[in-house]
Amino acid sequence: MKPRWRKVLHDLIDNIGRTLLVVFSIAVGVFSIGVIAGAYQIISNDMSVSYSANNPSNIEFRMTNFDENVLTSIHNQRGVKDAEGRRVFNMRVRVPGTEKWTTLDMVAFESFEKNAINLLTPIEGAVEPGKRQVLLEKGALDHLDVGVGGLLEFQLPDGSTKTMPVAGIVQDTAAGAADFLASPFGYITMDTLQYMGQPKLYNRVYITVADDGDDILHIREVGGVVKDKLEKSGNVILRTRFSLTHEHPLASTVNAILGILLALGILIVFLSSSLIANTLNALLNQHLRHIGVIKLVGGQRKQVFRMYITLIMAFGVIALAIAVPFGGIGAYALAEFIAVKLNFNLLGYRIVPMAFFVQIAVGLFVPLVAGLAPVINGSRITVLRALSGDLAEEKVQIKDGEKRLSWFDWMQVKVTHLLALRGIHIPRPFVISLRNTFRRKSRLMLTLFTLTMGGAIFISVFNVRVTLHDYINQIGKYFRADVTLDFDQPYRLREIENAVMSVDGVTHVEGWQFLSGELLDDHENVIENITLLSPPADSTLVQPILIEGRWMRPDDVRKMAVSEGLRKTYPGLKAGDYIKMRVDGRDEIWQVIGLFKFVDQEGLLGYTPFEYVSEMNNLANRSFSYRVVTESHERAYQDAKAEELDKYLRDKGFKVRVAQAGSASLDTAVESLDILVVFLLIMAILTAIVGSMGLAGTMGMNVLERTREIGITRAIGADDRARIRTVIAEGVVIGLISFALAIVLSVPFTYGLSYIVSSAVFQTPIAVVFTYLGYAIWLGLVLALSTVASILPARNAARLTIREVLAYE
Amino acid sequence: MPASRLGQSKNNLQAGSPPLIELRNVVKVYSTAAGDFSALKGINMQIGAGEFVGIVGKSGAGKSTLLNMITGVDTLTSGEVIVRSNGSSVSVHKMSEDEIALWRGKTLGVVFQSFQLLPMLTLVENITLPMDLVGNFNPRQSRERALELLRLVEIEEHADKLPAFISGGQQQRVAIARALANDPPVLVADEPTGSLDSVTADHIFEVFEHLVTDQGKTIVMVTHDQSLMPRFSRAMRIVDGELDTAYEPEPQSSGRQMK
Repeated sequence: MKPRWRKVLHDLIDNIGRTLLVVFSIAVGVFSIGVIAGAYQIISNDMSVSYSANNPSNIEFRMTNFDENVLTSIHNQRGVKDAEGRRVFNMRVRVPGTEKWTTLDMVAFESFEKNAINLLTPIEGAVEPGKRQVLLEKGALDHLDVGVGGLLEFQLPDGSTKTMPVAGIVQDTAAGAADFLASPFGYITMDTLQYMGQPKLYNRVYITVADDGDDILHIREVGGVVKDKLEKSGNVILRTRFSLTHEHPLASTVNAILGILLALGILIVFLSSSLIANTLNALLNQHLRHIGVIKLVGGQRKQVFRMYITLIMAFGVIALAIAVPFGGIGAYALAEFIAVKLNFNLLGYRIVPMAFFVQIAVGLFVPLVAGLAPVINGSRITVLRALSGDLAEEKVQIKDGEKRLSWFDWMQVKVTHLLALRGIHIPRPFVISLRNTFRRKSRLMLTLFTLTMGGAIFISVFNVRVTLHDYINQIGKYFRADVTLDFDQPYRLREIENAVMSVDGVTHVEGWQFLSGELLDDHENVIENITLLSPPADSTLVQPILIEGRWMRPDDVRKMAVSEGLRKTYPGLKAGDYIKMRVDGRDEIWQVIGLFKFVDQEGLLGYTPFEYVSEMNNLANRSFSYRVVTESHERAYQDAKAEELDKYLRDKGFKVRVAQAGSASLDTAVESLDILVVFLLIMAILTAIVGSMGLAGTMGMNVLERTREIGITRAIGADDRARIRTVIAEGVVIGLISFALAIVLSVPFTYGLSYIVSSAVFQTPIAVVFTYLGYAIWLGLVLALSTVASILPARNAARLTIREVLAYE
Repeated sequence: MPASRLGQSKNNLQAGSPPLIELRNVVKVYSTAAGDFSALKGINMQIGAGEFVGIVGKSGAGKSTLLNMITGVDTLTSGEVIVRSNGSSVSVHKMSEDEIALWRGKTLGVVFQSFQLLPMLTLVENITLPMDLVGNFNPRQSRERALELLRLVEIEEHADKLPAFISGGQQQRVAIARALANDPPVLVADEPTGSLDSVTADHIFEVFEHLVTDQGKTIVMVTHDQSLMPRFSRAMRIVDGELDTAYEPEPQSSGRQMK
């Protein structure tokens, strides 16, 4: 090997600590980008492939009961390729001998063999259930500890129970794809319905369109025609849902979240590049004498340039060797995690070419760009300056032939002097630490930049977490009941009130009703579904966040307050406007009296008073659904009361369908958000790692460059502890400055990140909340990091003998 | 490289032939915080091929600056430095930095007081480095020549050691061997014995003397050691940036007195 390449190789392995610092700086960025880009590619491909592989329906009608003839008529409609009927109802189920009931959405098929829409993927056991057998969706196993062949106990509306064996486990990637908070599914044949106390009729139809299943306008058009026909023949459609064949309903949400992670990944690459630039700058400074010798014995600028560019490329290649495999594994793990959460399948582990090439590009290009300036400067240096080590020292400003202090140094001296005049004497070693901190300003800037960005992101993630939780709590104001009771038949308010109030700990109960409406355009085509909740107008269980207009009153007729998400359907919608809506098959004009903030992910929501809806539904003073308030609002207490009420009411002969804690669904939502926050936090920790690596590198370089000064301080009496303290104090000063800057920067970061996350998750920007927690943790972390990052260089400094350091070249 | 090649550059000093190195009114002014400082004040000097020139002077007199002007390591303020070798004449400071580097690699060997060996390269690699950079020899020839040069400076047995594992005197021998790597006609040495004990320094000086007498190299050496003056073929003194034209080295007393 030629001696110059031997030198490059030696530079690579000579200082393992420095090489590892550069390699890991590159690797962290490459890894982050690899994970996000890979997961993005895998998910965006596999999510739609997995979803479309099971032939998802384009149109779903939730209807009142209908028979085979209606299904045949739907099938014969123009534009309809296929149509399948199902009966969907929910039931409480448990493993015999256990206490805990789980609500399953039971789906009855006419024929599993002829099933062509929303196909089920067999996982274990039978592909189709026999009479009085059930198939379980694999998600149900999270709630029920049962396997194939095991028995399940189903509770019928009259309180009696029926037992059925589990014939098999299947996966249903289509049904419930739009709602990851939906109940798990169980599947039976239509022949089993009677056994379950249900009529042998359909209440849901799934349709695929004949032409373009990815054209939403076409799907809506076909849906509109079919619906018209159905309604004209007396069928009632309660709810409609349109979906594309090749797009998972949650694709845009998942992509938005991956987009946020990608942005953070790019930021990490950016930060690591500043770290690389810093380290290479220091490396070139340390190598000035070598460069001088090379040039002295005939080396030209381009030869020096090539040597150091090769060194940088070698750093990149090693980083790639580490980060690419881990990035690939991380990408698949992230994709699989999301796939499990959203119930779709991945096509298997693979190298994603796009992610692979992006990683290669980042791993080679970023260090090259970051190292270009130091290498060009290093290769341009004259032999004289290189041999005299001129660049390793600070420049002194010369003005009018006189040496001058920079304003910053002047200020430091002045402040120390002023403090001393007032009797405040800063210990000299600490003055050394302070002044050392600002000696290499460009290096300090890059270190501060990296550490500040890491800190600002870290703090922002905590703020975003609290912001999301606060918003969920705000949303909780719409769900203030401690226990929700749903019955299979309506009961008189007074009757339920008497029964429920007699249970210990219950303080209040009120009946609620519901309406399903379909929003219509000018041509009476359905645009969107809306769910109208109807608590009593004076209910204290809803505390809306009104953004316009007013809340409902008892005398409101065909008036509703709606969530602001409606403005997406009706841009410019304001309180007082009228909109056309189909309710129970009737086209009506409703007035919007107010708009409130709400999560629109689960569909549009409105409120209209119980007083009006109960009359409209012919259920005056009666209701299917009740909200109960208890003494304590803790989740555990709510669960206990829900169970107690369930048992008590059943014993009294009430046909309870569901009794559950009021905050159950909110808790699930918080859990889902926490998963997102965990991902954000992982990215924040990665940025913190890059930041601390930057600080460790800087401290190492500072100490190395000041070896001679350290020798002098030792020669004039500084002991090991004093020298260690000086170095650590310098690291801590840098940490504290970065913390102060991070506090400032975290404000716009919090707003930006909250806006992006809330827009992706809630489809609406939300009010930002700040928490001291992120600041406190980061302060502790940055102090710890800066201390740890300084300890090794400090110990090295302490270890050197006076002779060694004064002889240091 | 065959051994005979080491002696290729024979003493070419001929009366009437143009000097190998010529300095014409060389001025070097440094701008400092305290104002302009003239390190060289119009130096005129001619050095013929095969001469062993010693330049003495006190610290700060301008000795090293003068060498830097000859090697092109530093820029001059005014004047000209001309070096004639292999039939061509080069005005050193009219070339670009890269051209100077390549020219220096071929024409000049430089030896410093502090050896300036690359610590990560073995002795033989340190010597092959200039050959690698200039490209005069292929890798195999380079190694053979490097070993030959190590033999010349009598440390061949340490060829594959790192500089840190040999003594200062041995390191300086390697530095001399490295300076000879591309077989340059001129060697420039800046206090080459300054950091060595007197016995070692004497050995090193002998190496230089052999290079002049046996190989016909032209050597310009800076030293502050007056006692070495009689051993040069020509001695000059520089005082405050000017050549002391009246300087006559004192005759050597008995024996060789180094330092």
